[in-house]
Amino acid sequence: MAQSWSGELLHIHIAPAASYEMEELAEARLIAGKGIEGDRYFLGTGTYSPKPDVRDVTLIETEVLEQLAAGEPKMPGIKLDLAPGDHRRNLTTRGVPLNHLVGQRFRIGETVLRGARLNFPCKYIEELLGMPRLFDGLLNRSGLNCAIEVGGIIRPGDRIVPMES
Amino acid sequence: MASPRLIMKMKVASLRSEAGDVSVVEFRHPRRPQLPPFEAGSHVDIHMPGGKVRQYSLMGDPADLSRYLIGVKREEAGRGGSAWLHANLKVGDELAVSAPRNHFRLHNEAQAHLLLGGGIGITPMIAMARALKAQGKAFVLHFFARSRMMAPMLADLETELPADHLVLHFDDDPATVVDLAELLKEQKDGTHLYYCGPPGFMAWARASSTHWKPDTVHFEAFQPEEDPNFVPQAFTIQLRSTGQELNVPADTSALTMLRAAGVLLFSSCENGVCGSCECGFVTGEPIHRDAVLSPEAKTRRFISCVSRAKGRIVLDL
Ligand code: FES
Repeated sequence: MAQSWSGELLHIHIAPAASYEMEELAEARLIAGKGIEGDRYFLGTGTYSPKPDVRDVTLIETEVLEQLAAGEPKMPGIKLDLAPGDHRRNLTTRGVPLNHLVGQRFRIGETVLRGARLNFPCKYIEELLGMPRLFDGLLNRSGLNCAIEVGGIIRPGDRIVPMES
Repeated sequence: MASPRLIMKMKVASLRSEAGDVSVVEFRHPRRPQLPPFEAGSHVDIHMPGGKVRQYSLMGDPADLSRYLIGVKREEAGRGGSAWLHANLKVGDELAVSAPRNHFRLHNEAQAHLLLGGGIGITPMIAMARALKAQGKAFVLHFFARSRMMAPMLADLETELPADHLVLHFDDDPATVVDLAELLKEQKDGTHLYYCGPPGFMAWARASSTHWKPDTVHFEAFQPEEDPNFVPQAFTIQLRSTGQELNVPADTSALTMLRAAGVLLFSSCENGVCGSCECGFVTGEPIHRDAVLSPEAKTRRFISCVSRAKGRIVLDL
């Protein structure tokens, strides 16, 4: 079944090492099978589980961040204003149904990503930011970890579109 | 395990020289108007080129989160961090600064607070005195320095604090000199003691307060006291979760061996003063060599970058 959605890349963030605040980029180079140039996962200086995993690049929906900031009604008591990049995901998207893209390929600008697995919120960022409810707030909407199949340059404003898998 | 802390690239917004070879550095964040909050007594880690990490107490007002202020004394004989900052830092430079952490907090249950700052050890005391004054709490700050000329931040303290809250002691002015043993002779009910300063001062304050109730004495050191007679011995660590045993050779730290075994522990100072590498121990006889843990914490916690053990220790990892 052809999927019909089309979204936009809003922000690109990288962090040089675990615990470092994320930096926003106006342009980034994705390297197939590796990650974003300069990012902690690309450099191998991130914190992650020792199990084999694919997380060349991590994505999150801006809609989730907006709901968190507004105190989305389904999660009473959780209202969190994250500064840009505090979510510690690389790419912030609008209009992309990330939860439905496991195993799917899609384009961002000239690159091609494949959804690997849903991201799971970790206690690590909750502690890092001193925001005790962040974990609960991100449950089931923590974004998508992706593999990079075709590398290239991406910029905020790039269209994100599905591909026939 | 101590929690991780966000590391931010911050700009040097201003630099000011103070007496006693002290430079006051003001950090601001290029994009965050509100910095992570802190309480009096907190410190930040400053990451310097070449991987050096040093701890500095925040001396600004905890109510003003637009900036962090630290006071750095140039120590020629130190481990090189302060000398580097003094020689190289310019307004506009960017440095990696961690979010604050506090091992040296004010205890609200105290009826009165006795603060002792020796030399550059005055920096956490400034934030504490400000906080106590703002809350209308009973406190006295004793400031020990070699001379009036060598006492950093003195002008600010004298303007901010009423005379009965600030007592000055200068080595070159006999009328002001006191013996800490005399000053601390009696512990008034409900009084908590806080002290910070160079190693000699720390040893003096500790020796003079041994008769105080342990949970009313708080301190922060910039470097652990060195025992010149200490000879490190090999020992064994057992991990509680897996039962795995690790041998720690005499010339290697527990932290190094734990990491080699794949245990994820944070660290920053690797000198026993920041508490990043802390973990629990279950059984065994640790040899504590850090300057972080309180006497109570020493019965169940372990600082893996400097501390060792006799024979075998089971760590809660
Ligand atoms: S790393 Fe700082 S106390 Fe161990």
